[in-house]
Amino acid sequence: MTDGVQILRRNRPGTKAKDFCRWPDEPFEEMDSTLAVQQFIQQTIRRDPSNLEAILKMPEVLDEGVWKYEHLRQFCMELNGLAVRLQNECKPETCTQMTATEQWIFLCAAHKTPKECPAIDYTRHTLDGAACLLNSNKYFPSRVNIKDSSIAKLGSVCRRVYRIFSHAYFHHRSIYDAFERETHLCKRFTYFVTKYPIIPQEILILPKLDDEVPAGESEA
Amino acid sequence: MKIPTAMDDNSVSHHNGGQVGSQIGVSVNNKQNEEPSQSVQYSIPGILHFIQHEWARFELERSQWEVDKAEFEARIAFLQGERKGQENLKNDLVRRIKMLEYALKQERAKFHKLKYGVELQQGDVRPPPEESATEPEPVERTQWKQGRQFIKQYLQEIGYTDTILDVRSNRVRALLGLKNEDSDNSNYRNYEKQQHDRCDYSANHMVRKYDYGKEPRKTSGSSGGGYNDEGMSVQETAAVFANFEFLTNQEMDMDEIDDLDAKQTLHASGKQGEEVDHEAEEVLNELNMLTINEVVSAGQGDEYQGGVTSGGSASASAASSSVGSGSGAGEADEETLGLGELAQLTVSNEPEAYDVAGANKESFRKTWNAKYTLRSHFDGVRAIAFHPTEAALVTASEDHTLKLWNLQRTVPAKRSAGLDVEPLYTFRAHSAPVLCLAMGAPRSEECFSGGLDGTIRVWNLPPPTADPYDPYDPAVQGAVLREHTDAVWSLASACGRLASASADGTVRLWAPRAPRPLLATLRPDDGPPPAAGPALAPSPAPAALDFADAASRAAVAYRDGSLLLYDLETGQAVLRLGCDSPANRVRSHPTLPMLVTAHEDRHIRFWDAVSGQCSHAMVAHLDAVTGLALDPNGLFLLSGSHDCSVRLWNLDTKTCVQEITAHRKKFDESILDVAFHPLRPYIASAGADGLAKVFV
Repeated sequence: MTDGVQILRRNRPGTKAKDFCRWPDEPFEEMDSTLAVQQFIQQTIRRDPSNLEAILKMPEVLDEGVWKYEHLRQFCMELNGLAVRLQNECKPETCTQMTATEQWIFLCAAHKTPKECPAIDYTRHTLDGAACLLNSNKYFPSRVNIKDSSIAKLGSVCRRVYRIFSHAYFHHRSIYDAFERETHLCKRFTYFVTKYPIIPQEILILPKLDDEVPAGESEA
Repeated sequence: MKIPTAMDDNSVSHHNGGQVGSQIGVSVNNKQNEEPSQSVQYSIPGILHFIQHEWARFELERSQWEVDKAEFEARIAFLQGERKGQENLKNDLVRRIKMLEYALKQERAKFHKLKYGVELQQGDVRPPPEESATEPEPVERTQWKQGRQFIKQYLQEIGYTDTILDVRSNRVRALLGLKNEDSDNSNYRNYEKQQHDRCDYSANHMVRKYDYGKEPRKTSGSSGGGYNDEGMSVQETAAVFANFEFLTNQEMDMDEIDDLDAKQTLHASGKQGEEVDHEAEEVLNELNMLTINEVVSAGQGDEYQGGVTSGGSASASAASSSVGSGSGAGEADEETLGLGELAQLTVSNEPEAYDVAGANKESFRKTWNAKYTLRSHFDGVRAIAFHPTEAALVTASEDHTLKLWNLQRTVPAKRSAGLDVEPLYTFRAHSAPVLCLAMGAPRSEECFSGGLDGTIRVWNLPPPTADPYDPYDPAVQGAVLREHTDAVWSLASACGRLASASADGTVRLWAPRAPRPLLATLRPDDGPPPAAGPALAPSPAPAALDFADAASRAAVAYRDGSLLLYDLETGQAVLRLGCDSPANRVRSHPTLPMLVTAHEDRHIRFWDAVSGQCSHAMVAHLDAVTGLALDPNGLFLLSGSHDCSVRLWNLDTKTCVQEITAHRKKFDESILDVAFHPLRPYIASAGADGLAKVFV
């Protein structure tokens, strides 16, 4: 790996966990793969997950639709970590409905007729549904060229995904805090949907998460 | 007025007699009007004569009416007879359709049971509505058309579409082709190859079930008046059926299989071909004969799979011919293919049948084509493993999840979107990328995964009928093995035991379901590493492992290039093989004492597991070789590489049989794993681009 001549960015079998993906950053301009945007986003996150500005600073040459799409993929992927933690605590018996504040009960859209799934099912179904949609050959056949009509689909995914954050925040605060400390994911998400106005501001019900204010310290 | 009462009576009776009578009545009235104007000359004889005359006239007319009535009655009887005959024909057609449907249902249920181990709910297949056939009046032409429509409908249902017309138009040519096969046009031959499987399959079963209906059909043939006229349709159908049968035999012949039964069948259908204008009964007899032959050649009567497992040469050859055919979208096709492969494998597992397997090698050497793309992972797929028996597989990804896919269930539902498969279940529990995967053996309903988080997790696979949006079932998550302190990079499972290789430098042996699962910890220099050792600071990490020698040994490839063979009884390394380049994968041959390793330096190396010598080394790819898989017979090797290609190798000659470019690069990684299905003709590759692909 430290050939000097050529850096092979590879995780060989037997690599220690701390060395996983630990290779020198590759400038975006040199990435020639079709997955360059994903590579770039992951590389920036790995460098410093709390540096939202850097993570969400789009390279100028890029199409904004692709940029948003790849970020949403990354969010859904990382949200899996929150779902794993919730699985141990958020039981169908205790959280029988998907709620955040008492104002709304969210219905699970993964079913033919929207259903009042328990919170954990809502979480899983939403993530599974998002995985299917974002990988759908119909709407996203290519990761370098995305139709505007498909980009429009991202809004509803974002809205549902945000409910997972809000449920965790209002009902499983310790899990939320621990997860947020590690990943800064909700902060990043809020920053993301605000910077590219994907979902309206009034839906963002979590307090202290204005993109301007670095809220991490006050929460921890 | 002055008319005698008798006359009046007569005229009244005439009036009652209907149309003819009324005319007569009018004429009588005219006479009545004339008579008074003539001189009144009534005499008894005159009156009598008049009455007699009139009576004779009326008698004559009555007899005429009677003749007419008889005529009409005869006509009615005739029409009724005709109608009855047509009804008989209709019933017969409906019965035949039902029989065909029943046969199809039976077969579907059988294969469903075979695949999923559960009974199929027969909700989807309904007998065609009988109303459409109930009109008795339309003449033969319409009836004939209806019959054809039914057959067509049925054939469409089994996935055999409009090409039926081609079959008919090509029938004569095909029959001629028996005598001069070479002159067959290549187009037709192509079509034949493609369709062969389903023709074979459906025709056999059609004909077989058809036979059951022979008796009632004969009786209706003798009773129905119009039936013989209708025999045309029966014959037509029979000819088409026979044609299917014929295609089958021709295919077998092409494959140069000396099957006596097949030849007999060929002869039978040849005879059929010579006299296309047979009477229906004769055709039926022939069909019956075909059926018998078919039963003989299938080995075990009606049970297709029975014939398969019996391992007779007939079934094996049938299997080989079906394996050679191209890929089709129809499910029936798939099933036949699967069974065919199954047959081959079953046969070749028997030692005395090894030659059969060898002979089938040529037909096994088919071209694999990408059929399913599994897209649902957000990041690179690190590992892929097929279900031991079902057409299902599990993928493990860097997005921290594993997904279960059922190749059979999701495809028909997603026909519009091509052959994308949606995952059946997403396994969430790892908190870091999942790196390796092993299916449970012998328990097929479990699988194991190892992750960068250092845990090994046991999963209870949901049934293949599960819905992706079912409620969360915590029972899917089984035990967690946490003894490893670093990333788990390789897993192997056999005989209820699990071996794992971790970046913490150890290889561990587990009984995953036991209360104290850890059985042994294997280190390269048996015992705790010498802490005071000068040069070899940390013990090299194992990169890959596999069970060998009926799971009594484990082959472990280390990152320093050494390959150790451990005796699992003693936990001691019994053999050390060395090479310069670290191996990414090691696989042991299913039957021979041979190890195969995939190396970073683009090589694949073959090792004698007894002597420890490197028996062969070859540059196999343009970049590091990452994935290796051996087919269950040990005849072929599949390799995947960061050069984006999957290659299939003939183990005997060590030559590349096929190369498939399958995945795209992410950073400098491309293909991360490859797999062979243990029983069915599927191979799969997993890539850093987040996709998994299945080839058939």
